[in-house]
Amino acid sequence: MDNEMTLSFLAVSENEALARMAMTSFMTVLDPTIEELSEVKTVISEAVTNAIIHGYEENRTGIVTVYATRVDREVTVTISDQGCGIEDVQQAMEPLYTTKQQMDRSGMGFTIMESFTDQLSVKSERGKGTTVTFKKQFQPVGSPFAAR
Amino acid sequence: MQQLIQLTVDGIAVIRLQGDLDHHAANRIREDISQAIYQGSVHAIVWNLGDLQFMDSAGIGLILGRMRDLAPINGQTVILNPSATMQKIFQFSGLSKYIWQGTEDEVIRTLGGILNG
Repeated sequence: MDNEMTLSFLAVSENEALARMAMTSFMTVLDPTIEELSEVKTVISEAVTNAIIHGYEENRTGIVTVYATRVDREVTVTISDQGCGIEDVQQAMEPLYTTKQQMDRSGMGFTIMESFTDQLSVKSERGKGTTVTFKKQFQPVGSPFAAR
Repeated sequence: MQQLIQLTVDGIAVIRLQGDLDHHAANRIREDISQAIYQGSVHAIVWNLGDLQFMDSAGIGLILGRMRDLAPINGQTVILNPSATMQKIFQFSGLSKYIWQGTEDEVIRTLGGILNG
């Protein structure tokens, strides 16, 4: 393993930016393209937001943990909470499915996470919490067509 | 997160967003935007994302929510200058067709024609 990071924070919405910033720094050494960087930031933001508003129902007491490792140019990230869990993961992952439309939630979180990663898994248990794990392989530095 | 809302005489609201649009920011600006819409008999919203550094699905929720506000009056929605990553997010969400090319002024002229047409 080339690097490892654990970041734990209170489940409040201002920490969504904190998680994105920490991951941005973690990825800097890879000299990622603008799109690679913004796509991973989006995935982190979606998973952390889900933990805050669905896992903990915005009760401001739970803890969200982002654990990241890097081996060569592959980054693996786990976002976990000990919140209420998801009743039906498959249903939650359907595009446009949301339990909070009145709060302007789009139901696109998992679709975005799947599209912007190479591999995504979601494990959840009612009353125990949810863990989202994804892998992202970064393109070699100097590959053509890459805007940096 | 900063937003600038301008209302034209034609009832077009131009919303320029700056910084990061996530769930935290969306909760803070939704009220301001909704108030501007209800105060000024708005018929169309132009979202200019040219200065937006980051957007996740909270941006989709914010725009879809305001589309619902405009639906009873058949209001128009236009999205300008999304980044490559934002374009993908709009595409997944079925909102690509609201992305227009051109400047704010061009879009306001075209929309004015449609609204008064």
